[in-house]
Amino acid sequence: MTNIGAPVYLEEKLEEISRSGRLDYRSKSLPTWCPGCGYFSIVESVTAALNRLEIDPCETTVVSGIGCASRFPFFVNTYGVHSLHGRALPVATGIKVAKEDQTVIVVGGDGDAFAIGGAHIPHAARRNIDITYILFDNGIYGLTKGQASPTSVLGFKTGTSPFGNQDRPLNPLMMLLSHGASWVGQAYAGNPGHLSEMICQAIAHRGFSYLHVLSPCVTFDKTTKTYKNLGMMVRGLPDDHDQSDVMAAMHEAQKTEQPALGLFYTENRPTLGDGLNEISRRSQAGS
Amino acid sequence: MANRPQILTDMQVSFCGSAGDGTIAAGDIFKRAMAEAGYQIIAFDVYPPEIRGFGKCIARTRVTFDQVYSLKPQSDVLLSLDDSHAIPHVGEVRDYGAVIYEDRPMATVEEGEHMSGHLKPAQLPYGVSFRELSERATSGARFRNIVAVGFIAGLYGLPRDLFHRTIGRKFAGKPAEVTESNIAAFDLGYDDGAKTFQVDINGFGPPPKRKKSEKVLMMHGNSAVARGCLSAKIDTFFGYPITPATSIMEILAKEMPKRGGRLLQTEDEISAVAAIVGAGFTGSRSATSTSGPGLALMTEVMGLGSIAEVPCVIFVSQRGGPSTGMPTKTEQSDLNLAVRGVAGDAQRIVLAPTNVEGCFKCAGIAFEIAEKYQTPVIVLLDLYLSNRYEAVALPNKNPFKLDATKWAKKPGKGDAYQRYKLTPDFISPRAIPGQQGMQHTITGLEHNELGRPNDQPAMHEAMSHKRHEKLKTAINYPNLTTSKRFGDKGRVRVGVLSWGSTFGECLEAMITVRKQGITCSAMKVVMISPLPVDEISRFMDDCDVVLVPELNYEGQFASIVMGTLGRPVHRLNRVTGTPMAVNDIIEEIQILAADKPKRRKAAE
Amino acid sequence: MKKPLRYAIIGSGAAGTEAACQLRLRDPESEITVITASKLQFISRYDLPRVFEGVDDWRELLVYPPEFYEDNRITVRRNTWVAGVNPRENKLNFRHKEEMSYDKLLVASGGGGYMPEALREFLPYMNPFSTFSNAARLRDSLGKKGKVLMLGSDMVGLDLARYLTSAGHDVTVYANELLFWPHEIKPEDTAPYVKALETMGIKVVFGRKPVAVEPVNSSSKAGKYTRRLVFEKGKAELANVVMPFYGLMPALDFMIGANVDIERGLLVNPELKTTNDRIWAAGDVCQIWSPEENRYSFYYGWNNVKEMGHLAAHNMTGDNREIKTAQTNELKITKKGELHSPYWEHD
Ligand SMILES: Cc1cc2nc3c(=O)[nH]c(=O)nc-3n(C[C@H](O)[C@H](O)[C@H](O)COP(=O)(O)OP(=O)(O)OC[C@H]3O[C@@H](n4cnc5c(N)ncnc54)[C@H](O)[C@@H]3O)c2cc1C
Ligand SMILES: Cc1ncc(C[n+]2csc(CCOP(=O)(O)OP(=O)(O)O)c2C)c(N)n1
Ligand code: SF4
Repeated sequence: MTNIGAPVYLEEKLEEISRSGRLDYRSKSLPTWCPGCGYFSIVESVTAALNRLEIDPCETTVVSGIGCASRFPFFVNTYGVHSLHGRALPVATGIKVAKEDQTVIVVGGDGDAFAIGGAHIPHAARRNIDITYILFDNGIYGLTKGQASPTSVLGFKTGTSPFGNQDRPLNPLMMLLSHGASWVGQAYAGNPGHLSEMICQAIAHRGFSYLHVLSPCVTFDKTTKTYKNLGMMVRGLPDDHDQSDVMAAMHEAQKTEQPALGLFYTENRPTLGDGLNEISRRSQAGS
Repeated sequence: MANRPQILTDMQVSFCGSAGDGTIAAGDIFKRAMAEAGYQIIAFDVYPPEIRGFGKCIARTRVTFDQVYSLKPQSDVLLSLDDSHAIPHVGEVRDYGAVIYEDRPMATVEEGEHMSGHLKPAQLPYGVSFRELSERATSGARFRNIVAVGFIAGLYGLPRDLFHRTIGRKFAGKPAEVTESNIAAFDLGYDDGAKTFQVDINGFGPPPKRKKSEKVLMMHGNSAVARGCLSAKIDTFFGYPITPATSIMEILAKEMPKRGGRLLQTEDEISAVAAIVGAGFTGSRSATSTSGPGLALMTEVMGLGSIAEVPCVIFVSQRGGPSTGMPTKTEQSDLNLAVRGVAGDAQRIVLAPTNVEGCFKCAGIAFEIAEKYQTPVIVLLDLYLSNRYEAVALPNKNPFKLDATKWAKKPGKGDAYQRYKLTPDFISPRAIPGQQGMQHTITGLEHNELGRPNDQPAMHEAMSHKRHEKLKTAINYPNLTTSKRFGDKGRVRVGVLSWGSTFGECLEAMITVRKQGITCSAMKVVMISPLPVDEISRFMDDCDVVLVPELNYEGQFASIVMGTLGRPVHRLNRVTGTPMAVNDIIEEIQILAADKPKRRKAAE
Repeated sequence: MKKPLRYAIIGSGAAGTEAACQLRLRDPESEITVITASKLQFISRYDLPRVFEGVDDWRELLVYPPEFYEDNRITVRRNTWVAGVNPRENKLNFRHKEEMSYDKLLVASGGGGYMPEALREFLPYMNPFSTFSNAARLRDSLGKKGKVLMLGSDMVGLDLARYLTSAGHDVTVYANELLFWPHEIKPEDTAPYVKALETMGIKVVFGRKPVAVEPVNSSSKAGKYTRRLVFEKGKAELANVVMPFYGLMPALDFMIGANVDIERGLLVNPELKTTNDRIWAAGDVCQIWSPEENRYSFYYGWNNVKEMGHLAAHNMTGDNREIKTAQTNELKITKKGELHSPYWEHD
């Protein structure tokens, strides 16, 4: 640790937090995650972002599937749906289609997203539904106590892969870019300031925004995606990275050994809601 | 002449041909014209499973003066547009009924493959030159089917302009030549029919007069479902295509956007049902439609709907199963799945309409009930009901309540809103996103009144109790007919207990056996879950024996009744993929009625 | 086991139906198919006038109920036209382009009313009388006290004429050389028979040559009449119906090319066999060799025709019986002074 600054006093910090308004976004339930789990930063960053964007908690719905990460809705003071394993995206689709003015945020783990819920991602992305998907990738199944996930590294030994994982991990960023997500970014739970900034941008984006958050499971992964390893791997996107160039974004997304943090790609195009409004307009004009 | 019985119209016409012959279109024009004239209609088309090619199609329409409840076992007229398909069906034409067929085929007919060689001695042959007449009208053989409709209309002296209007409407939006060719073909057929001597004395009487306060429309079960949804002001619909439910979605796709509604075709049924749970959570009136395979996929999310207490409506049209089974055949074999197909101890509300009008009513009221009891509601049809046409008298006034929700009041300062509050009527007042100060999270985990995960024994018992008792009160929901008894009152020899599309056949059978002197009544059960046990119990008290006819192998409804009431019933099961034959039910009633009550072993 | 023989019978009139019944008795295993242009099962032509006695349900006129055909396994292909016979392959060709093979064939296709060439174009405005629907139409066109003009006036027509007059209709017969056909009565001998007709209330007019039949508008000064019969030299007569009775013409177009001998009818020996070993004929269609008369003759009438059907069935199943060709079919006058013909007798 090189950076020993001025002392931080607890009372002052608490005073500052409560004055910021962030606590209005927190529920009365405290997170139940293991101490040190990367997920704590979700609550911090999401509440900070909502606060910054001045979105009313009653105008926000947070939707999750099942998993450690998916417990998230209980810890914020918005509307929430703690749904089923893998089904957060379709539930969120229903909410957004029915109530366009709600800010809808989906939160979940990598198993929830890419294994059981994999069929829904391409469609949320291609439809460009105006929601924000914050995906916490710990490369393992946390809630079920440590089994391989679609993003587990090769050779990773877990409860269900005692002789080492033989299935090549998938590349979530490539997947989202190729399916047409209109905002694709990456952040790291170990860098909450940047994470919070990215969440702000993702929520502000009009369309389907996908934020991939690298987040260690301190309990079931002591060897691969640890703070130590991730901290050494992550880097920034090149200064001249063109965020409107999907090929450049894919090029960066290929570098999985050195994951880049930041906004890979963004575009403006009509959302699902725009499309549905257009259908309404045409049908009413035709009748 | 004097001793000839006065015949009010009751005429069943079957059009039979291959997929390329326009068989279904011919049947469609016929039934639409008849409905417009004011007759009662029941019609059911049978298609081949193949999209292309030359599979068999049969379009049966029963046209009556008085309301009837099913197709007749025997048709009065069989019209063959393809003898190879129609010959096996010649036996379904009654004695002295008419068989109409192509008299001047284009190509050579193999020995024994022409209709004229297959009529029963009492049936009446009408050979007609469909092809030549079509060619004369339009210089093509494509309009044989319309010539055929014209022939029937002419033969029975039906008003020509009625059919012209129907044809005009059917081809509205197509180039004018299309309508002209069709009318020309119809007219040549009509003239030919009109000059053909009609040897059958069973003609069309004048159509009945209708009330002013209703509009009579001819529609099939799925379109009645769609209309019910629209009347109930459905907001959102999410669905995935599957036979025989698809047309519900297709109709809504056209109609909802005009009324400000939104419809989305999802990537699968899981997504569809998850989306209606999401939409339902926001207070939107939301529905999906599917068939057995889709319902199987939906069960997990429906369990979420039950425990999270989200209103939503699922329309299910059953087809032959298991698995992909028989997509274009009818069956009532998804009852177990609809009622019990869920992980854990969840009950749900299942309504099963018995006719097309019932489809309309159940569809609309399903939204009210889902809202009122905060739970998924399944409306269970089958292919026979989905696709069968009836002339339905719809009320001019919208019969549905547009908000049946028990709303929460904003909690006082410092008090948290309790989404799952335990109340005397088991219903927790609702709040939805956008309402200030009532933010909460719904969940599929067992929870406390606040909605926080909680798996303590007392809590799980309290919440399970709440969820089950809440649904039981739905039996008393106003304006909902959960069951109804028809036929003889008081003590009867045989009681027929029935559900879904089969009820029409049961009613016809009951009416017939009563004429034969057997005391009999038939009860339809529309609410299958929770079961209206008191009403069924009272009915069974009155019956020496109870017969439960249904289109599945094991008698799924019979088992539910026996399991719930602990009383014996007799099962009658058919899995032919076709509607139950009225005669099968009649025979079974006769056997049961003839038996000494004690000798017959109760339940097998 | 021997394959059952396939018998085909063309025609479901008195001759064909009687043959079918006999064939069933004599060859219980066989397949019997009757092919007929008629829509209905066998209705005796002789019973058709009952329509004027109030019978309006054709079912009451059926000679056998439908079950009869089922019980006796006689397939009757109704509404089916034979277009040709192929004697080499032993097949019938139907108008609807289907073939049917047979082992033995009986032609009992009867005859249709003959129509002189000059009047043929007016057929649409005339009423034939050979099927139930013809009879019902006639009844409907006549109403009460209708007026009928009969041309030609053979015995078939006169049979009908006596029923019509007793039903209260007004019948005028325009006689020509076919009056009393098939009785052969010399012109100089007709007077007593004509008188008998008049006794029966039938008007007889000689020497008028019809040249046209036209429809008229019943609302005009024609009153209730809808037909006009025009004669040579411009005279005309109004009526409800005009009916042709110019004798019978055997129906055997389809036998042309079948390699059998035809004169006016299908020529058969007294055993009713044609020149083809597998083909027999019976009824109005056939002309039988009469050794007594040394020529081929027709033998009309219910009794004759039924007997032919009976005999043909026997001979098709192994017998060699000959028909009685020496017959006297004399036209008679009853004690009441009315006309009577043996051709009118039937059971
Ligand atoms: C009203 C009336 C009264 C009569 N009264 C007398 C009378 O008084 N005296 C008298 O001598 N005769 C009378 N006749 C004639 C009488 O019908 C015949 O002698 C006898 O009934 C003929 O019987 P049949 O079986 O030979 O032929 P029909 O009864 O003429 O039967 C011929 C059958 O052949 C069928 N047929 C013909 N051509 C075809 C084809 N190409 N394909 C398929 N089927 C075909 C017809 O459909 C019909 O079924 C009368 C006829 C009529 C119409
Ligand atoms: C249909 C279904 N299958 C399996 C499970 C069990 N299950 C719950 S969470 C989970 C995996 C969670 O892993 P991930 O999505 O990566 O989230 P994490 O716990 O790591 O945050 C599994 C398999 C379930 N709840 N439902
Ligand atoms: S198990 Fe892993 S992912 Fe789950 S809370 Fe604990 S550390 Fe976090």
